[in-house]
Amino acid sequence: MSASIMASSSLPLPSSSSSSAASARAASDSLDVRGFAAKTTSSTGAMQLNASSVQATPITSSSAGGLKYENIEVEDGSNSSMALQTFYNQLPPDWSKLLVAIATAFLATEKQRSVPDCKVRRPDMLADAFGLGKFVKDGSVFRQNFFIRSYEIEADQTASIEALMNQLQETALNHMKCAGLLGDGFGSTPEMYKRSLIWVVTKMQVHVEKYPSWGDVIQVETWGFPSGKNAMRRDWHVKDVETGKTILKATSLWVMMNKRTRRLSKVPEEVRTETEPYFIPKVAAILDDDGRRLPKLDTSTATHVQKGLTPHWSDLDTNQHVNNVKYIGWILETSPISILENYKLESMFLEYRRECRRGSVLDSLTTVSAGADCINGNSESGIECQHLLQFEGGAEIMRGQTQWRHKQHRKNTGSVGVLPTASS
Amino acid sequence: MLRVHTPAGPMPCREAAAAQWRMLPSTVAVGRKRWAAAVRCVGANSAVSGVEEAAAAAAAVSGGGKGLAERLRLGSLVEDGLSYKESFIVRCYEVGINKTATVETIANLLQEVGCNHAQSVGFSTDGFATTPTMRKLRLIWVTSRMHIEIYKYPAWGDVVEIETWCQGEGRIGTRRDWIIKDLATSEVIGRATSKWVMMNQDTRKLQRVTDEVREEYLVFCPRTLRLAFPEENNGSLKKIPKLENPAQYSRLGLGPRRADFDMNQHVNNVTYIGWVLESMPQDIIDTHELQTITLDYRRECQHDDMVDSLTSQELTDDDGTNGSAIAKHQEQEHRQFLHFLGLSGTGLELNRGRTEWRKLVR
Repeated sequence: MSASIMASSSLPLPSSSSSSAASARAASDSLDVRGFAAKTTSSTGAMQLNASSVQATPITSSSAGGLKYENIEVEDGSNSSMALQTFYNQLPPDWSKLLVAIATAFLATEKQRSVPDCKVRRPDMLADAFGLGKFVKDGSVFRQNFFIRSYEIEADQTASIEALMNQLQETALNHMKCAGLLGDGFGSTPEMYKRSLIWVVTKMQVHVEKYPSWGDVIQVETWGFPSGKNAMRRDWHVKDVETGKTILKATSLWVMMNKRTRRLSKVPEEVRTETEPYFIPKVAAILDDDGRRLPKLDTSTATHVQKGLTPHWSDLDTNQHVNNVKYIGWILETSPISILENYKLESMFLEYRRECRRGSVLDSLTTVSAGADCINGNSESGIECQHLLQFEGGAEIMRGQTQWRHKQHRKNTGSVGVLPTASS
Repeated sequence: MLRVHTPAGPMPCREAAAAQWRMLPSTVAVGRKRWAAAVRCVGANSAVSGVEEAAAAAAAVSGGGKGLAERLRLGSLVEDGLSYKESFIVRCYEVGINKTATVETIANLLQEVGCNHAQSVGFSTDGFATTPTMRKLRLIWVTSRMHIEIYKYPAWGDVVEIETWCQGEGRIGTRRDWIIKDLATSEVIGRATSKWVMMNQDTRKLQRVTDEVREEYLVFCPRTLRLAFPEENNGSLKKIPKLENPAQYSRLGLGPRRADFDMNQHVNNVTYIGWVLESMPQDIIDTHELQTITLDYRRECQHDDMVDSLTSQELTDDDGTNGSAIAKHQEQEHRQFLHFLGLSGTGLELNRGRTEWRKLVR
């Protein structure tokens, strides 16, 4: 399974659907990033959670010197994941060894790995150093932690926006998994899978306050709720574990599409029912979806253009669709170097129109729409750019708007700046 | 054999990311003290894997500047302090068209664990995992060869444990080896080895490893020769010939993307792996799985360069010279290819490589 939860971002425009073979092949173009847990049928073999059993039973492991573990009880009776509750404050000597030992023993006995089987059978003990992640706030929010790895760091010593977006994706899928809602292993719930329905992202909005650095630990919280009759929303809030400060906030909008006909679909009642327990309308969205539509960039006035972009093998997910996060990389490719060097991406508003695959040829266009005269200076108000990603024939893939703030004006600059010198 | 500590990362630029780490004292004396402290702690409680003890001891010695992640990372020096192990979980976006982790993901994890090893013994101070003497002489490590073998690719959610260590390679450079295991089964799912040489970062000229530099590394390397590929005539030693013109398959005009650069505006090593694979034909990608990749790094790609990726099938020694050799190959489970990465236009060589592919069992 893979990152294709955001992969097929197409609205069902007639011209975009290729052969039926391709559609049929897109077995899991599902994009559901919401965990809507309910009693799923046991035939999925996935971890199942009762909404009522989400609250964990804390146990104390004496060998870990008093460290508490939370176990999420599952219907099949096995412990599906562990979350370390107080590891921030306690460092028992054999914490890691215990965790690894338990994980090893559990995984060894529970191992049911069948790669072709798209349903998740394998209970995951260690999705990350801190555990698969857990439900918090009465089961309405899913939380998972990540280390920032060295290869996720970009030229200015902070994590790239792509790395952060990837982690949002990972958390969303794990949310589904932990809620027992991976019907096809891709984000479609079981009821959706039965009806050949998939989630399709239409909008994404991200606001970054502080970029993490290598070695930082970030905490990603995610939740979802309905938006009107036919759409769902998924929000994220990412914090730095050590400081508690917000790293980023994001919100996204998803609609349902029949993967065979490529037509939009209403959310069926059965899907609502199965997802309702994890679908908590009361949780407020972090970013207000102000309902704005992005204007389309005027291609004749685009100042920065890159043509002939093509997906590499490594850009493709299991369905040979291009991962949504790669699109962000492409639109940033075309941003003026002077902006990339002096400014940091602060917020991003994206509208997804079509998907692309291996063999697609893309053009990426960018226009600086505000603050252009200040690029080489030090603008207090920041820079704004409009972006367009389209097929070389002109069909639109994605449009976007980005806001940038000057690196020196960031509230929390992280470690942007000078390399520590060797002399210290 | 002279033992020299090998730095963690890929091309020197990547190491600069290590500068993020809270500053660790750079002198070898402190490094030794830290390591000794770690060993003491570990020795005191032999049941302990040394994970947090070693890291905590190191933190204490170095002034406790380590971050949360450092203290809690599931990685540590092993008991004797001469190798480093860390576990990673495979994330959903690291999985490719075969529903398993891509070779780029594996390569990234190898780099990551190498970086962390260097950092844990106090090397990555200025981001280049260099010794004090090297810094004085403006020397950095660069990769000259990378060889990765994967026997079983991990899937999403799998946890892999990677162990890494260094060895000297005479006066020319050092090597860093890795063993990759599936944490759940302890099965070895992959092995890798890499060769590193020293280069002056200003002149970009290669230099021999001096005694002074070797001294600084001695303590961190295994005392006896330890190789990820101990068998004779193994693939990691095979010479890679230059592709014959014309190549069977090609992908022209590849350029480094924004995300391919790290700190010092150099293209990181893993990007070259992606480029090499770009010219592989679809029918092989659809039916086979990469088993082995060997890459010789000759020249760096600069910011505005464009690269051509060329691939040709390589006939193995078993084949006769007659025409039926090709036909025989089509049916075989294993396929082997030679690769060439060169600058578009001039054809100047950046890398050459060899890949071996095994048929996918679907």
